[in-house]
Amino acid sequence: MTDLLEGFRLVLQGDVLIAILASAVYGLVVGSLPGLSATMATALLVPVTFYLSPIAAVATIITASAMAIFSGDIPGCLLRIPGTPASAAYTDEAYAMTRKGQAEMALGTGLWFSAVGGIAGTLALLVMAPALAEVALNFSSFEYFWLAVLGLMCATLVARSSPVKAIASMLLGLLFSCIGMENPAGTPRFTFGMTDLLGGIEPLPALVGVFAVSQVMRALAEAEPPPLPRRRFGSIMAGQWALTKKYPKPMMRGNIVGIIIGVLPGAGADMAAWVSYAMSKRFSKEPEKFGTGHPEGLVESGASNNASLASGWVPALLFGIPGDTITAIAIGVLYMKGLNPGPTLFTERASSMYALYIIFILANLIMIPLGIVMIRIAATVLRAPRASIMPVILLLCAVGAFATGNNLFAVMLVAFFGTLGYVMERNGYPVAALVLGIVMGSMVEQSFVTSLIKSDNSLLPFFERPISAVLAVVTLGALLWPVAAWLMRRLRARRPAAIAAAHRP
Amino acid sequence: MDPISRLSRRGILGAAAGLATAGTLARPGLAQPRYPSRPLQMIVPWGAGGGTDATARIIAALLEKELGQPVNVVNRTGGSGVVGHSAIAMANPDGYSIGIITVEIAMMHWQGLTELTYANYTPLGLMNRDAPGVQVSASSPYKDIKALAEGIKNSPPGKLKASGTGQGGIWHLALVGWLQAMGLKPDHVRWVPSNGAAPGMQDLVAGGIDIVPCSIPEARAMLDAGRARSLAIMAPQRDPQFPDIPTLKESLGVDYQTAVWRGIGAPLKLPAEQAATLTAALQRVYKSNEYSEFMKSRGFGMDWADGAGFGKVMAETDASMGEAMRAAGLAKA
Amino acid sequence: MPAAREGNRALQLSDRITGLCLVALGGAAVYGATQQPGVPGQDVGPSVFPMVIGLGLIGCGALVALRVGRSFEAPDEVVPPEPGEAMAAPPRFAEWRAFLPPLLLVFYMLAVDTLGFLLVAAAITLVVCLTLGARLRLALPLAVLAPIGIHAVFVRLLRVPLPDGLLTLPW
Repeated sequence: MTDLLEGFRLVLQGDVLIAILASAVYGLVVGSLPGLSATMATALLVPVTFYLSPIAAVATIITASAMAIFSGDIPGCLLRIPGTPASAAYTDEAYAMTRKGQAEMALGTGLWFSAVGGIAGTLALLVMAPALAEVALNFSSFEYFWLAVLGLMCATLVARSSPVKAIASMLLGLLFSCIGMENPAGTPRFTFGMTDLLGGIEPLPALVGVFAVSQVMRALAEAEPPPLPRRRFGSIMAGQWALTKKYPKPMMRGNIVGIIIGVLPGAGADMAAWVSYAMSKRFSKEPEKFGTGHPEGLVESGASNNASLASGWVPALLFGIPGDTITAIAIGVLYMKGLNPGPTLFTERASSMYALYIIFILANLIMIPLGIVMIRIAATVLRAPRASIMPVILLLCAVGAFATGNNLFAVMLVAFFGTLGYVMERNGYPVAALVLGIVMGSMVEQSFVTSLIKSDNSLLPFFERPISAVLAVVTLGALLWPVAAWLMRRLRARRPAAIAAAHRP
Repeated sequence: MDPISRLSRRGILGAAAGLATAGTLARPGLAQPRYPSRPLQMIVPWGAGGGTDATARIIAALLEKELGQPVNVVNRTGGSGVVGHSAIAMANPDGYSIGIITVEIAMMHWQGLTELTYANYTPLGLMNRDAPGVQVSASSPYKDIKALAEGIKNSPPGKLKASGTGQGGIWHLALVGWLQAMGLKPDHVRWVPSNGAAPGMQDLVAGGIDIVPCSIPEARAMLDAGRARSLAIMAPQRDPQFPDIPTLKESLGVDYQTAVWRGIGAPLKLPAEQAATLTAALQRVYKSNEYSEFMKSRGFGMDWADGAGFGKVMAETDASMGEAMRAAGLAKA
Repeated sequence: MPAAREGNRALQLSDRITGLCLVALGGAAVYGATQQPGVPGQDVGPSVFPMVIGLGLIGCGALVALRVGRSFEAPDEVVPPEPGEAMAAPPRFAEWRAFLPPLLLVFYMLAVDTLGFLLVAAAITLVVCLTLGARLRLALPLAVLAPIGIHAVFVRLLRVPLPDGLLTLPW
């Protein structure tokens, strides 16, 4: 109890509160710019943390990353340009709502359920950190392999186009992930002798290309659409309460899935959002409404990706294992500030731990008012003439891609993926599946090859280990289910047709 | 302590300095201003947020104080470090472009990834060196390095597995070098490639592999958590930050040592006077309290060498890495 | 997203063509995979993964070309068309104008180091803005303000080193 009070005392310092507020605004702005990711927002904060007290330093990282993940939804919803790979899963859904004139509603959903998910994730961190960490430690490459395959299958569930084309897009993404030398063999593959390709294709330039650049391309190819209908909402939050009461189950499922996936190192917010959106569609009573501007999927995946953000700190705090790129940066800051990760952090420095929890909750709470202001400001983009928005987006694409590594080659990649994404969309190939393939590719290959090396080329451990076996059953079930459903539908459809044919004179 | 206003304040200071420079340049005929007269840039070949990035940023911040000019850190990523290392080598040798060079420079050209070697730089100073430890899981049957060495020798080739970097990465080569020093074949312990030391340590604790020969700061959290043990360090002497871990030589009688290092370098043909200024400033940075505090907090090993000394370290590493990579069949060149 | 748009057929390829493209790409991936060297100490080399993907692409491409799985595409039509879409006819050559943005990005890459960010960004803004049918009264101020604004955010706040080139801001 004294630790808790001490935690409050640590957080309620002037410098900590100012750090939280300033990094919240910073995270919201950076995350909302197309082409800049939450990871980059966090990385750019590191030099600033040199000058801050330990708690204030960690507070800036926590707050900025939570804000940036939420505000990555903003360009996705308004312009169909997801700010982070995590929002790519449900960008089409949110944009469909915008086209129905419900942009503020869609963004409000993202905001409210992000905050709910973030707080749920924090509570999980508070109550079950050691237990969750044990789960993470029991995940070996065998389990990761099935998890990665399961993630890839979400591509077919999420897409509204032909599953064959969705799988083709995903395979294309996997093929791009083969480029470079970051493969288990460590040999340069498909680099065509280009030094810039040695490091492989980063998801961010691909994301910016297939969504943002191809959006500008589409604008140039098509006549200006009439202005979107605009309905003014009295309160962004009032509708959210109704949604919370309408979809309590998807919300809880999103929280739980997010927490579990977040705890696993290597599978972060990106995957949580994809899996949750796919699950939401699978278990929904109205799956046919998905993709047409239906908030149910947004509820579940919005909760999920922010929940995973908080629980991603569990392996980081207990064992110094980063759950994703953001916590990798955070671990460096923790060490630098003398808050060395490890179980002793939870026992000997309990007050600092409580301070971290309080910051998490605080960050998710101030997200709501600041987010509302941000939504109101950002929504003006919808009323601005297209001719003034598109050039700015194109510039942001170029500069954002360049900024990831100060390398002009990334600008080239963005141009390439823009063209590819445009042609793919024209022909009914979902680009989100391509991004998923690029994000997940190295995990699939890495986990498969290292598993085989470890098992001396035996496939048995993929099915023998308990968690692995469960995941295998789930994966294979999900893989075979649509095929079985399709066959059954075919059979049923054929029978009435045959009867009708028999009755024809 | 508002981070944004701090950033912009530093920006304004930098801009003011830049304006002052523009003013001096506009008046020809005056004596050459004392070096450095405008901001420097420090190129980092690795991404923002990592260990190298953090080291570069603290050096840059302290160097700024020593030189009286802003030192801007620029991450030039891509090509697994090749792009950034080339950018340092090909920058203008005017003393305003320096960079942090990492041990990969001694490995990349052997793999045939680039023509670039340590000889393409003017070395300015070695700032950090970390030796790998030999880590096993807390539940491992091997309680000390002798038992592990016996276990390795008595196991059939390929039975034991080790991990911690990708195939042909620095820790893989450390393992190969150690095995060879014990008179074993380089693939007697099988290498399981991983995306860095942290996933390797996780797999060690999860029971997937037997050994992780990564640097001790990378293993530190698991050691502190009591989930893993470090049996020995591949260094000439014990690490003052981890005095309980014996060296390979004292515990096993095998005199093998290797390390990762980071140092500051500049392009070739840097004027000697500017090199001397930079080396002197770097030495003061190295000796400062802030630097040693930072390195201690991150668990990074301190090691200093001046320009010539750093050049020697690079040459030695280059030779030993080449040897290990040829032995493991990883060298192309 | 619905692909078919009246009058914009230039890049709307038939499933047969895109399917065959995928088959060809898959074939190239398989060929590329067989060219990968073996790795000492590893039985599953760098060739296996691209090989599997290549075979998968060949399979998917064949299915697309044979129009299997079209029945699943039916829900696509559920997406309501953009309101009022039918009224406005797209400008002529519109489809080919779509390739302007990637070309401008290539121009950015080639020119930014010599001309500097501000000039290149102003040129790109002006071109896109005018192509979208804006008047000079909007395009010119935007071409001045947008680059300066972005420069301010990225260089001052995020400390990204955008090249100065010919034109340096006075701060």
